[in-house]
Amino acid sequence: MAFLELDNVTVAFGPATNQTVVLKDISLEVEENEFVAIIGFSGAGKSTLISLLAGLQQPTLGEVRKNGQLVTEPGPDLGLMFQNYSLLPWLSVNDNIKLAVKTAFPKLSKTELAKKIEHYVKMVKLGHAGDRKPHELSGGMRQRASLARTLSLDPEVLLLDEPLSALDALTRSELQDQILNIWETDKRTVVMITNDVDEAVLMADRIIPLTMGPEATLAQEFVVNMERPRDRQTLNDHPEFMRLKSEITSFMMQINKESKAFSSNQVVPMPQIRPKDFTPISGTPRLKTRPTQPGKPKSAA
Amino acid sequence: MADSPKDKLKYSILKVIDVSGFKVFDPPVRLIFGEEPQKQIRDIAKYMLLPILFIGVCILAWDIIGPNHKTKSGEVPNPAKVLVAYSDARRFDQREDEKNHAFEVTGSERKSEVKRVESKLAQLEKEQANLQKKSSEIAQAAQKSLDTQLAPIQEKYAALKAKNESAEEVREAEMEALAEKIALKEAQPEKLIALLKQATVAEEKEKEAESILKDQMDLIRDNPPEEVKEAQLVTNKVADEVQHHKKLLAILTKENKSVKEASLLAKAKEDAEQLAAATTGKEVLKEAKSIVKNTERAESTSEQSYPRTATIFWQTRRSLATVFVGFIIAAGVAIPLGIMCGLNRIFMACMTPLISIFRPVSPVVWLLIFQIIVGAFFLPDPASHPLFVFMNDSLNPFSSLQTNPAMIFSACTVAMCALWPALVNTALGVSAIDKDHLNVAKVLKLGFWSRLFKIVIPSSLPLVFAGLRISLGVGWMVLIAAEALSSSDGLGKFVWDEYQNGSSQSFANIILACFVVGIIGFFLDRLMIILQRLVSFDDGSATA
Repeated sequence: MAFLELDNVTVAFGPATNQTVVLKDISLEVEENEFVAIIGFSGAGKSTLISLLAGLQQPTLGEVRKNGQLVTEPGPDLGLMFQNYSLLPWLSVNDNIKLAVKTAFPKLSKTELAKKIEHYVKMVKLGHAGDRKPHELSGGMRQRASLARTLSLDPEVLLLDEPLSALDALTRSELQDQILNIWETDKRTVVMITNDVDEAVLMADRIIPLTMGPEATLAQEFVVNMERPRDRQTLNDHPEFMRLKSEITSFMMQINKESKAFSSNQVVPMPQIRPKDFTPISGTPRLKTRPTQPGKPKSAA
Repeated sequence: MADSPKDKLKYSILKVIDVSGFKVFDPPVRLIFGEEPQKQIRDIAKYMLLPILFIGVCILAWDIIGPNHKTKSGEVPNPAKVLVAYSDARRFDQREDEKNHAFEVTGSERKSEVKRVESKLAQLEKEQANLQKKSSEIAQAAQKSLDTQLAPIQEKYAALKAKNESAEEVREAEMEALAEKIALKEAQPEKLIALLKQATVAEEKEKEAESILKDQMDLIRDNPPEEVKEAQLVTNKVADEVQHHKKLLAILTKENKSVKEASLLAKAKEDAEQLAAATTGKEVLKEAKSIVKNTERAESTSEQSYPRTATIFWQTRRSLATVFVGFIIAAGVAIPLGIMCGLNRIFMACMTPLISIFRPVSPVVWLLIFQIIVGAFFLPDPASHPLFVFMNDSLNPFSSLQTNPAMIFSACTVAMCALWPALVNTALGVSAIDKDHLNVAKVLKLGFWSRLFKIVIPSSLPLVFAGLRISLGVGWMVLIAAEALSSSDGLGKFVWDEYQNGSSQSFANIILACFVVGIIGFFLDRLMIILQRLVSFDDGSATA
């Protein structure tokens, strides 16, 4: 039995007579300490999927299980890192983390609490900015603070909902390295949602594409057989990396095409229209002649 | 960023200006620190000098147009008259302070004070006598010049009158003669009627000529020369001072607290001596009663304070106290209710009809309802109600406000009208919490109370304070009307009293009160803006 399981899960909205099925028949098994990436286009239902795993949402059909037990409500053991940081803007970075640490370890003394906060703030290299409010931080710093908050819950499962998609390319690669570093030193189960093939190949053990919605489901998985730690510098020359990247990319493109065909499979034949010929009959146009003014009868020559 | 201390100072000053919403003072501060002087001077000219100029033009227009409009309570006062009204109010307030001091002062200090006031009074009386003499001289001189001015016109007038009278006599005689003839059938009656008509026309003309001269004389009489008016004013002022010092002296020597107390105690002592010397039981009883009465009176005197007359400054303080009481009641009710509305949709659905129906109700109606409902709690004798006994105890720091039922009614009306904006905004702020923040709360498994205090309230605070700001503004506006109607001492009652008593200065006083209300309203609003900015977690640029 896998550590985290989705068992034939379907999510639908709306009344029974007119249901919109977002996710259909999704089955996923994640082993302990495995890093799984779920890749899909925007609007496919990725966030719904991660909400299911986090227990924020209940499936219409099927079951979500962690360690064999049904996931019915969110909690600190399912550490969800939100797409748009979701730091509380009225609290400083330290206080945001403090809120989480207090939930995970309610019985800590004041000094232990401070130590723990410091530990996590330093882990994401925000030691200098602990007293600042979120609006005083850059996007990357905010996401790091959010990561620190999630980590400080000491969750069994780390759920990352497009953690880096709002960041610029440089900050993004830096944060990818940080997340990988943290994961490698402190192994735990990770499910990451992403829309970036490079990111998925670089970070994950397995990559599972999500097909286009509605009625999105998981497609055939790709196993990343690359040794760790993976080096960003030499990655582009790695044959396995190249192969996976091109395979996944072409697969995703194909899904997109299918979906487009699905959404508008009716081909409307366009009428064949030849453009009207405007060239003057009498050969080359005379540029100097002015057009006769309307309403003024031409005098007979 | 290697900021010099000077830069740090500059930025902290600019921050204060920004938070308090006085953006106008940004360019001058930057100019002082020498930042882009040309740009700052341009900005100052655009956003400070031009508005000041505009205000100047407005005041000028008021100064010119106002006095031209004659009303039944005199002409509209110009700015100078309003300023005079203000300085008069200041003087009045100062005098009340002096009287209060005279009432309270004891021992050797009182004696030296008596001496000081006596010498001052003597000096003032001397001055008054001098001024009176001078002013009567001036008046006589003016009268003389007036007489010389009037004499020729009067002569003319007398001549004209005599002439007109004789002309009339001639006409009368003529008509009588004609009437005789008609009676003897020697002439036609039509002739007499024509003659009568002519006579009326002539008489009217004569009267008109007379009245022109009369008006000329009245004009001269009614406009005594400026120096007479001035002399009169100066004399009046000194007479006023004399009056005040006489009153001060009276308070110092007779009404003074310690003096009264001492005299009562002395009486009691005298009674005790008489009691010792008394021979009959009846006398003993009488003296004993007198002792008790006098010592009791002495005790109550020691607790008395000077009965101040209401000044505009005291009325302003009372208005501010009332509005804050009302505002705090409103906030105390509106914020919890608003939070409940925002959290629970059923509760919101229950409250919506109440909010929709009671929000548009006029403050006047609320005032009347509160006078009846809340008034019932203070029956039968409001003065002995524990609340007022407590509030007006001489040890209570708020005793100077003289809390009374009318004040409570006004505060309740303010609270009722100020309730709605805060309530609606709080509900909005709570229901508009970012979904992600609620998800965070779920993931962190926060309980109800910590979710309320860690997530819901902080996140809705900016909107709550925006609502409170509107509430305070509404409350201040409502208060003035409520005070006028309930005659609870305050700015509203001040305005109403001035309107009713119609002295020469009341119109100016009303305009003065208008400015006081406006300026205080402005500062209350600023206060709320600052609070709002302090609690908003983003840069707060949306609030202006």
